[in-house]
Amino acid sequence: MEYGLFVSEVRELPADPRAACGQWLHLLPPAPLRALYFGSEFCADLLPEPAQAERLCLWAAKEGVEAVLLTPMLHGGALERAERLLQSLDSRGLAPAVLFNDFGLLGLLRHRYPKFRRRAGRLLNRGLRDPRLSQQTAAGDAGRGEAPGRLRSLLAGYGVEAVETDPDLEGRYLGEDSAGMQRVLHFPYTAAATGRNCLIKADGASSGEACFTKGLALPCAGLCRGRCHPVVRPDSAAPLWRAGNTLFYQVSETGAAAQLAQADRVVLYERPAA
Amino acid sequence: MKILAPLRASLEVAGLLEAGAEEFFCGVTPLGWEPRYGNAWTSRRAPQAAGVPDLDDFVRILAGSGGRPVYVTLNAPYYPPGAVEMLVKFAALLLELGASGLIVANLELLLALVAAGHGERLQLSSLATCVNSEAAKFYRDLGISRIVLPRHLTLAEIEALAVEGVELEVFLLNDGCVFEEGLCSTTHAAGPFCLLDGEGTEGVSAETLDRYAFWKWTLSHCGCRTGNGYPLGPCGLCALPRLLKAGIASVKVVGREASLERKQAAVRIAALALALAKEGAGAERISEKVIELRGMSELCRQRHLCYYPDVWPERAAGGTAC
Repeated sequence: MEYGLFVSEVRELPADPRAACGQWLHLLPPAPLRALYFGSEFCADLLPEPAQAERLCLWAAKEGVEAVLLTPMLHGGALERAERLLQSLDSRGLAPAVLFNDFGLLGLLRHRYPKFRRRAGRLLNRGLRDPRLSQQTAAGDAGRGEAPGRLRSLLAGYGVEAVETDPDLEGRYLGEDSAGMQRVLHFPYTAAATGRNCLIKADGASSGEACFTKGLALPCAGLCRGRCHPVVRPDSAAPLWRAGNTLFYQVSETGAAAQLAQADRVVLYERPAA
Repeated sequence: MKILAPLRASLEVAGLLEAGAEEFFCGVTPLGWEPRYGNAWTSRRAPQAAGVPDLDDFVRILAGSGGRPVYVTLNAPYYPPGAVEMLVKFAALLLELGASGLIVANLELLLALVAAGHGERLQLSSLATCVNSEAAKFYRDLGISRIVLPRHLTLAEIEALAVEGVELEVFLLNDGCVFEEGLCSTTHAAGPFCLLDGEGTEGVSAETLDRYAFWKWTLSHCGCRTGNGYPLGPCGLCALPRLLKAGIASVKVVGREASLERKQAAVRIAALALALAKEGAGAERISEKVIELRGMSELCRQRHLCYYPDVWPERAAGGTAC
């Protein structure tokens, strides 16, 4: 087992990666930090600029750990933007592992950027993650049943080295064995729902004409960077947050334990991040 | 370009054909599913509210459709262990009976169906969230014949998505979704999660939360209202000329759960708008006709119902806050 840590800027790393999630220390075994994750799995507006990505890659190299660039669904021009980012890193001799959630990007990685190692992102796991049901999951159920073997074979055939997820309610995505692929759990926040119609982007809009559907193609001011908003719902006992365009909840301890046991790497988040 | 209409019973077929439907989609649950898998659904919608009652009625749908294609949704985003195998067998039966194709979202099921030799009869559900041309190539190369695009794309993005060798289908009328449907991992079995979303979010202005509530209201048919009998809700009718030009194969009227009367009205106005577009009418002419029929002109003029508001760049420039 090893740890990854989600970061958004260069800073001093904790001596023990588990410090990022202090309240879960009793569930997290001691293990070394092996990777730094940056970018976004949820919003193309949060893809790093080339200079920032370069800074983070160089920092990871200096720390002796793997750099992993997170990428989201890539609508319209976002795919070109992601490709420009890869080109820029490539031209500087940098090749972080790329975690993809969009099969379009997987195609580009396979055919045009084979140097970048490929990791399958958590949006590829379409398992149930409903905060309203998170307390109902029986501890004994988590992890039972087969992992999605056909998808795993397809990904392996495309040179994908890892499957990554956050804890879902069934807990069988990572599977009982790695089958040649690293199994990674993002922890302790689970993404329940995401999309392009971002409430936080709308909060920075000048008028209703720039909000939601009408504002899809408009640039975002990035008000969500470094922030997350607690959310209270009468139908959910699980703690909830909105970070950018995504709603996260904190996984229950019983649900977490079984899935942690399946992971070869656990990526820790200090707070929910889109 | 064809109009794809929702069905939940054979009794609806004739009325929808008369209204202008050219293709149908429906959901059917295999016998023995419920005892094994309980509350898990075979498609995104609840079988009780939106599904065809049984296989016999599905056969009656095929018989009544007059040779029009009938597609079956097997598009739940996830399935319990063992369900994929059961659905592969069921899919073979549906195709043997005469289903024109299967609408699938879950990759595990999709790959199993491809392996079973059904690739050409598969359509990728909008829940699979294919949002760019490279992803479209990926699915085409798996053998998929049609891709249903997700709701939250601009017209420009849809136009850029076309690739050779695979048909595209887009949403035309009804049933919005607050989140990206394929990336919302909650279940409607516990009620639509988005209904209570927004309020309760700390640090967001009251004005933004009001705008959010209003936008959500438009997505849910403006509180289930109609205008002169036509459903009020997400609408892409004025975008038909551009969708036609982009080579979109099929435009989808959604709402399997709705009453036949509501479905007929939706299909009728869609058929009328498509006929206008095929005659060469532009967005403005279609808008006038739609407002004449449906009323509620302010909802149209301020683009509140638009699936594809970028069809009206000039209205965006002169728009007012909601």
